[in-house]
Amino acid sequence: MMNIRNSIVLSAVATVLVATTGCVNNPDSSGLEYMPDMYRSPAVEAYVDYGQDPYQVGEEVASSQRMVQSARKPVAGTIAFHPEAMDFVMPYPYPNTVEGYEAAGLALASPLTQIGQAEIEAGQEIYTLMCTQCHGEEGKGNGALSRNGHIQGIPSYSDKLKDLPEGKMYHTLTYGKGLMGSHASQLSQKDRWLVIEYIKVLQQGGEMPEFDENGNVVKSASTEAGDAMAMNN
Amino acid sequence: MIADLGFKATKSFLTACLVLFAVQGTAGIWDDGNIEEGQALFNANCASCHKVTNEVLAAPGLAGIADRWGASEELLVQWIQNPQGAAESGDSYIKSLVSRYVPTYGWMTAQAVSAEDVKNIMAYVQNPPDAAPVADSGSDCITVDELPIEEANNDSGVWFVMLLVLFLIIAMAAAGVNRSLTNASREKDGGALLEDLPYGQRVKMWAWENRVAVSLIGVFIVAYGAVLGYQGLMRVGVVEGYKPNQPIQFIHSVHVCENEVDCKYCHHSAYESKHAGIPSTNVCMNCHKAVKKGRRYGETEIGKIYEAIGFDATSGTYVDGEGKNGYASPQDTYDGDPIRWNKVHNLPDHVFFSHQQHVVVGGLQCQNCHGDVETYTVGRVAKVEDINQLVDKYPGLIELSKPTLTMGWCIECHNKAEIDLASSGYYEEIHHRLKDHLRGNEELRMYMEDDKITVKELGGWECAKCHY
Repeated sequence: MMNIRNSIVLSAVATVLVATTGCVNNPDSSGLEYMPDMYRSPAVEAYVDYGQDPYQVGEEVASSQRMVQSARKPVAGTIAFHPEAMDFVMPYPYPNTVEGYEAAGLALASPLTQIGQAEIEAGQEIYTLMCTQCHGEEGKGNGALSRNGHIQGIPSYSDKLKDLPEGKMYHTLTYGKGLMGSHASQLSQKDRWLVIEYIKVLQQGGEMPEFDENGNVVKSASTEAGDAMAMNN
Repeated sequence: MIADLGFKATKSFLTACLVLFAVQGTAGIWDDGNIEEGQALFNANCASCHKVTNEVLAAPGLAGIADRWGASEELLVQWIQNPQGAAESGDSYIKSLVSRYVPTYGWMTAQAVSAEDVKNIMAYVQNPPDAAPVADSGSDCITVDELPIEEANNDSGVWFVMLLVLFLIIAMAAAGVNRSLTNASREKDGGALLEDLPYGQRVKMWAWENRVAVSLIGVFIVAYGAVLGYQGLMRVGVVEGYKPNQPIQFIHSVHVCENEVDCKYCHHSAYESKHAGIPSTNVCMNCHKAVKKGRRYGETEIGKIYEAIGFDATSGTYVDGEGKNGYASPQDTYDGDPIRWNKVHNLPDHVFFSHQQHVVVGGLQCQNCHGDVETYTVGRVAKVEDINQLVDKYPGLIELSKPTLTMGWCIECHNKAEIDLASSGYYEEIHHRLKDHLRGNEELRMYMEDDKITVKELGGWECAKCHY
């Protein structure tokens, strides 16, 4: 009799232990919060919109507030105001058409006034982050996505796109072309012009131009070619 | 007259040449091409827009082109070499091509290929060999097959509570049966029946009879409860391991490790905002316009992107135009249901945190706080022990001990992280002012006792740095 009782008691204890240690472990719950209203405020924050306190306004109101997109677009027709960099915030005037592409290639020029080591290296950094997975480190169109067979036929900067004017590059970065999508949401206008400076280096084979101690371009492959042409003429 | 004759002779010679060329063309363009060379040419020149199947990439698929092509073969060559020039020929088939496809996909880029190349390409297009399996690039990435499959995990303690209740009921019933049996046997033997006491009294009596065992168990339960309670309280506000379900079974490993997409390609606002950013759907489309099928989930998960942005995968076009109305991108004009991602890393509202400050100024690597995301499926809050194990893989990682995303963790790092005074004009200026100032100089010497200036020493432990 005692044995049965003991075993009953023991298994009761075991059940309690298992119940308490096998605590709620739901990955959809971030766990206990001390004062949740301090974590989840009704103030609008990007990517988390909890709405007002459901205890006060009711779950219906709160949940409908949660479904409203918190990130808003600027009012239509407005532009950002950067007194010292107005060249980089103005709307892009060329339409997303074949004619717009050609027109940008003819007339659009980089608003960057100073192009030196800092600009080209900044462009290289952007290129490494944003472009290499398709266009490859050296701009030969052999990025990982191409090597893995996902996107093929990416033209090489130093071959097919050797003479692509900067206006067309900017147009493509802004609107996309063919399989390439628009990168306007990821790259600011200045970023786009900076990365174009580096792509120009890639067009010349990828060798960085020489800089003097102030970071100005001394000699680049393109100026050399220009000099040679001038001498021939 | 002689000149006239000469002209005629030239003309007939030219006609003969053309006829000859046409005859050769008939024999050549659709037949006898070299498939292998064609494949190389196709991949280099055509594959960025065309597929050899019916699938539309950025231009119509080329399956069945030999039956479809309604113009002469010279025009095919010309069309590839110089589409606009071919269109000027006035051929009705070319005209129909232009009016049907150019408004959607734009003009085809003129390709520098010879007629011989076109022959090889057409040989490949007509008889594409089965796609060779993608060669293992020798990377040490976790492949899709090795990753666990995410399942909605809704385990809770309910099971155990139910078991406990069930057990208590059985125990009570057993005790009752035991009592009845005892009574029955005593009745038979003619002994005294058990006293008819209330249930609570009987439990007390049972406990008294087994007092040693009961008290031992009691002490154990109290101690155990105390430990559990303490551990539970210490877990309040600790979100390590939080991994909510997401609307799309996203696989970080495939994107980051295999295809070398940088963290900041998608989370690009880490550079200029307090938020690292969840990529908007158009960023997904930068690759998924071409990549329409995943290895694990096929078209279902990628299809959710298309649904949200309004993309027709079969025609390769956006439902709402290609954002052709000025600067707008497709999702600006398409009124679809957005993908509602669940935020994983969430700091309390009274904490200010800026990615920009940590990534740009501090130069921290993403892995220092987020762990080895390139081995993840969906995002999760990394455990600090797991992050510490990455030191060999990511040199410069700061090892910490407190749970991630707690305040202890933040200030522990602020106390350890070193500031490079030459890294920005701001720090140079601070360095300058400290050096030139009498009291500042003393302070600087104090800071430099351990040969480094930490974030804490420049105010990283001030309350108002993060709470205001």
